[in-house]
Amino acid sequence: MAYLSTIDFFTDRNFLDRWQRTLRGELDLGWLHAKTEKLAATPENPRRGLTFRDLDQGAYGFTALPEVVRQNRSLAPRGAELPEGLPDLQPAVSHKSEVWAYNTEGYYEEAMTRQWNATLDVPWHELAKYELPDDISRAYAQLLTFLTEVEMIATDVPAQWLGRLNNEFTEVKNFMATQVMDEARHSEVFRKRALTTGYGLMKASPQNEWSLKLIRDSDSFAEMSLALHLVGEGFVLTLFRFSEYISPTELDKKIFRLVMQDEARHVGYGVQHLKWVMRHFPEKREVIHQHLDEVENMVFGGGYAVEVTEPFIILAGKGTKKENIEHGTRITALFQMKQIEEYFERLDKCGLQERRQRSKLHNALELTRASLQEAGVIP
Amino acid sequence: MKIPFPSLTFFQALQALMRQDEARFRRLGFVDTTFGIRIVTTDRAWQYLLTFEVFECREVREVSTFDLTAIDFVLQGDLAAWVEMLDNIRQHGGADVSHSLNTLTHFGERLTLLYDDPDNRDKFFRFQESIQEFFDLASALDVELPMSTAAGAVVTT
Repeated sequence: MAYLSTIDFFTDRNFLDRWQRTLRGELDLGWLHAKTEKLAATPENPRRGLTFRDLDQGAYGFTALPEVVRQNRSLAPRGAELPEGLPDLQPAVSHKSEVWAYNTEGYYEEAMTRQWNATLDVPWHELAKYELPDDISRAYAQLLTFLTEVEMIATDVPAQWLGRLNNEFTEVKNFMATQVMDEARHSEVFRKRALTTGYGLMKASPQNEWSLKLIRDSDSFAEMSLALHLVGEGFVLTLFRFSEYISPTELDKKIFRLVMQDEARHVGYGVQHLKWVMRHFPEKREVIHQHLDEVENMVFGGGYAVEVTEPFIILAGKGTKKENIEHGTRITALFQMKQIEEYFERLDKCGLQERRQRSKLHNALELTRASLQEAGVIP
Repeated sequence: MKIPFPSLTFFQALQALMRQDEARFRRLGFVDTTFGIRIVTTDRAWQYLLTFEVFECREVREVSTFDLTAIDFVLQGDLAAWVEMLDNIRQHGGADVSHSLNTLTHFGERLTLLYDDPDNRDKFFRFQESIQEFFDLASALDVELPMSTAAGAVVTT
């Protein structure tokens, strides 16, 4: 145990006397006079229920949160009286700008109502009516292996930051908790689907695992959010859309629509977080660029992961014959360009328009586009 | 009674079905988005604005223009693409693998997503299952679709 009580309560005279008095009915009742705001919150929209936004009042609200939280470093919920003697939990993050996003509370409420169940909401019984060609099944099993791998780190990362955030950031912590659940469910649904293909899990992806390690080992929450929510999940959102597009069955389409919804919510948080930072702390622009340089390097290096790209080509081309591969290669190239374009679109709207000029990834996109145009794949 | 497509009546019918099936949509969660539907032929366009709030489609109306900075996105496609999608939904009780909204819009081959802010565009993905199931409700309607011609165009009455 890293922390041990400084008092042995079984032998401490003061504690035992106090305990005895309580047993005799001598109550203190000091808590009755807690110096807190008295209010009775009500739902603004009864159909929506009582939301965090309805609680955004006075010291209980998130609007009044200062940029630097100095007073409360304990487990005391925001708005409670802070008596002497609360422990300093030494939260790693006490700056609001490092975690805050516009609409955090809205993303949380949305996440809570849009939870789904990988065991029951996917019509697994319908699998019996599908018979997929062998090459499609193998490629799909490999894709599902990769997706299971990705979603495991996406579960771990927000989870490892949860306990390190100051407890005043209630809405962010709750949203992160929903993300942990979302990603765990994604890992579950992909694993389950892989184990229904007849091929089980296939091969892990070293290059992608190095990329995921970069996200896991971020030095700050802000770095992590940029790498995970904005870059990683932004790319995965497009990947889920593409996977829905090439899905071999209606059941798989449903799976990808469900995971897509969760992923888009996480990306939304990342975009709104970056917007918050750019508006309130424009001086962080250069640090953000430097971090994006590193993350984009890893993104580009993902091209090494043939165990990810090749299943996409086979699934998109619907087979392994020469014409299938040619068709699949073209569609997969378009998908990869779309991933990068959508990423830069989001950065534009966050106020980082100059990113296109300084990014090597954007340069790679332009070269790819020129090469596809030359080959007549795109106009 | 047959419900013509495209028409405001068609979207009002979907809105009514969504309200009747509240338990199904409550299970899918909050859906808060306002988006446009644009159906075009070579010589005319039909435009509808749908507003979803909490668990329902709160409002549908016909509009003359869209302000992309005030709404989340517009789903646009030629009449033939819409008709093919609705015909497919009618045949299968819901969109099949080739006719889901995401598939039709992904590369903009059949339907296109128009938007100003990609974060608002992403609401199409955030509420994807709700929006898909909203359109799948059309399988329960007796829709009068324009006739397809051999060339793939459609003829409206």
